[in-house]
Amino acid sequence: MTRYLIRRTLTAIVVLIGIAFAIFTLLHVIAPSPGRAALGVRATPQAVHNYNQAHGYLKPFLVQFLDYLNQLLHGDLGFSFVLNQSVTAILGERAPLSAFLSGTSVALAILIAIPLGIYQAVKRNSIGDTVATVVAFTLYSTPVFLFGVLLIQIFVFNLGWVDANVPQSQTLSGALADFKDIILPIVALTATNVATYSRFQRSSALDVLAQDYIRVARAKGLSARLVLSRHLVRNAALPMVTLVGLSIPALLAGNLLIEALFNINGLGLLFVNSLQRQDFQVLLAYTLIGAVLVVVGNFIADIALMITDPRIRLV
Amino acid sequence: MLLGAAGLLALAACGTTKKAADQNVKAVGYGTLPAQSGTPKSGGTMTFAQSPGADPNWIFPITPGANSSVYIAYQFQQLSWRPLYWSPKGSSPQIDDALSLAAEPAKSADGKTFTIKLNGQYKWSDGQPVTAQDILIFIDIYRAAVKEAPSNVGNFTPGQFPENVTAATAVDQNTVSLTFDKVYNPQWVFLTQIGQIVPLPSHAWAITKTGGQQVDFSDPANAKAIYDYFVTQSKDLKSYATNPLWQMVDGPFKISMYNANTGATNFVANPAYTGPNKPHIAEVDQLAYTSTTAEFNDLRSGKLDVGFVDSSDLPQVPALQKQGYNVYGLPAFGFNYIAFNFKDTTGHWDAIVKQLYVRQALAHLQNEPAVVHGLFKDAAAESYGTIPAVPASPFAPANAKENPYPYSIDAAKKLLTSHGWTVNPGGTTTCTSAGSGPNQCGDGIPAGTPLSFNIVYTNDPAVVGQQVEAIASAAKQVGITITTVPKTFNFIIQNYGVPSAPANNDKWAAEDFGGFSQGLYPTSNNLFNTGGSFNLGGYSDPMMDQLISNSINGTDPQAVQKEAAYVTQQLPGIFQPNNDRVWAWKNTISGPPDGFANLTQFVMTPEMWYFKQ
Repeated sequence: MTRYLIRRTLTAIVVLIGIAFAIFTLLHVIAPSPGRAALGVRATPQAVHNYNQAHGYLKPFLVQFLDYLNQLLHGDLGFSFVLNQSVTAILGERAPLSAFLSGTSVALAILIAIPLGIYQAVKRNSIGDTVATVVAFTLYSTPVFLFGVLLIQIFVFNLGWVDANVPQSQTLSGALADFKDIILPIVALTATNVATYSRFQRSSALDVLAQDYIRVARAKGLSARLVLSRHLVRNAALPMVTLVGLSIPALLAGNLLIEALFNINGLGLLFVNSLQRQDFQVLLAYTLIGAVLVVVGNFIADIALMITDPRIRLV
Repeated sequence: MLLGAAGLLALAACGTTKKAADQNVKAVGYGTLPAQSGTPKSGGTMTFAQSPGADPNWIFPITPGANSSVYIAYQFQQLSWRPLYWSPKGSSPQIDDALSLAAEPAKSADGKTFTIKLNGQYKWSDGQPVTAQDILIFIDIYRAAVKEAPSNVGNFTPGQFPENVTAATAVDQNTVSLTFDKVYNPQWVFLTQIGQIVPLPSHAWAITKTGGQQVDFSDPANAKAIYDYFVTQSKDLKSYATNPLWQMVDGPFKISMYNANTGATNFVANPAYTGPNKPHIAEVDQLAYTSTTAEFNDLRSGKLDVGFVDSSDLPQVPALQKQGYNVYGLPAFGFNYIAFNFKDTTGHWDAIVKQLYVRQALAHLQNEPAVVHGLFKDAAAESYGTIPAVPASPFAPANAKENPYPYSIDAAKKLLTSHGWTVNPGGTTTCTSAGSGPNQCGDGIPAGTPLSFNIVYTNDPAVVGQQVEAIASAAKQVGITITTVPKTFNFIIQNYGVPSAPANNDKWAAEDFGGFSQGLYPTSNNLFNTGGSFNLGGYSDPMMDQLISNSINGTDPQAVQKEAAYVTQQLPGIFQPNNDRVWAWKNTISGPPDGFANLTQFVMTPEMWYFKQ
């Protein structure tokens, strides 16, 4: 186990440096002159040159990359000259609310989708299964933005129960202080996730139900409840562990459309806006942290699988 | 200042709104600008919508290029620090004497020295008067900033203010004398050079560290240290509302809350404000939005007192009006155009586009009334040059009011056939009479040359592409093949410009990235003069150079009008309609119409607004 952890960690470091290099290269290809993007069309070529020089964009590419790595090793994610803040501060301000929204919706989706999927498998082709399938496919095929708009129309404009937008304070504590106004984005995100997870869970449970050990358990006279709780749920939930592990990067990615719709100044929007403004430092930090989370997510998923399935051994 | 994708152009919606016809005050624009009404009620908090992506993030009134958006300069800083000369006057881009801190500067006999006399009406929030020293400190810090790095000030142009000021002296407590290095057009000096000045509280801000002693800001080393200190303070966004420096204001409001994450702010009325229009309201809450949809939802739910209406929401304007909102819009002062590239040699395009008759024929292929009505749903105004007729401005030339090249396929066809082209509608029009005679195609265009070129356009907003496609479609009717190429805005401005990316000159024949906003003195300097720093298409015309030079160096007060009239006639690009910037405010709010009309020009003056009793 220890050797496995060391090996995975070392591999992860190499992967992350590789990703950083790839992202760095890509950004330089698509945005060769951040000064032009920052200063606009009317800036003189000299002004653009001065800007690029002042911010180190005229150094040789490899020197820039090594400078960046050096900066990272000192715990400095850089400074956004567009947003006039350190990248660490920007990410620190936006991450909690985005992570809360994504995390809550993933957690709620799991809590709903696992029993729902298993119910649908056990009661396959029943009315309940059919209704759940229709609802899931409807939600799955409805763009989350449209679903959000519908929620706003009903719960904000028709019923007047909540506000259309999350509170202006935009901190996690601020949003939680007025919790009812954050319900709609959570519902919108959760519904989409439930649709995906429940279908996944249903087919996983159907696979398990067809296994010999289920038949044996039943033949031994175990009650349906015990078969369900001891054999079906645990085994059918294994693929969900992987799915959840892979969802961890979503905590960073944010949810662009939901953030735009419900006025959440989150990480998804940050990335898109930074891309449009060619805000190099933010883009680099964002993608690098995203890569870290992917690696960590996979790692956690592997560990979780090992714990839930004793047949799996990590070497 | 560039008005790009989300700026001057905006996607027209598909509703059935119509041009206002009534109207209480003005007959142009979208919706109605109501007259002032009701009795002002003292106090209250007014909610105001910031534009998405326009988070104010620079408070010090000397703003770097990277943070130098109109929103920051006008809607944020100017609430607290008044420019020496205020503009616009309502929606009209001109100096508003009543809101300025000084009378128009007097010019010396030799034309090089300008004397500014403060009107003595303004005081800082600690009761000290705004003085000549407050002007001088601005100039000295500005000078230090651009010496450190030209990009430290967004408005700076090398060789111009303050580098062209050879002497700046305080004549008395209320008078400053500025001497320039040579004689310029006095209007240019006033509106573009002196017009940049924002008095700063010299008695409080001539410091180089927190709690430090006052220093002599006229010493360049001290000015640099002051500048560096204030940059550090301005970078500390979280302290905006608590830093005592930012509470020393001469404007009607001062900051009381700033959210570094979203850019949302709260301003409270400055009780010591001594200028005109004392605020009636107690607070202004500037709310931040991540999208126009989120902002419009707040308008619909009545949470916003004053907010903008994105073009995609125009179909819902009647519902908004029914809900009790006034709605009014007008284009911002500026222009949109398809810039021709006079350096693209592909298919002899450089020789072709050099011919005025070709540019005129192409201009005839644009149906501006149809674009305004069909694409912008009447929330736009036709425009034929760099100075539009709407909004009204002192510099609009006579030919700004009527299209010299109205939509006419026949006129385009006639221009081509009369110049040696065989027009093949639906096919390919080719030059069949090469030569430089009056009825021939023109120098450098060989016989058999097809009339075909590409237009690169920004893919956002979609209405830009729709306009380009409409021209391409009309062009096909006279056998001109226009290949339309969508690109991102940033790609275009980084890669397709003769001055900045000459290696790509043969990759684009024309481009449409949106357009430019105009300053108070709307000369085309740098844009259409030979070698201009943002002369994107490399346009060159000695007459144009002379007219532009007159606007800056001559003395003719009509120089800019003459220059603009020539631009309209010569067509260095195809000028396009300008969309309205539409605003909505509750009808429980009122104030002088100018206080709402100026919203269309990126300016907010909440000191003019009040809740009705």
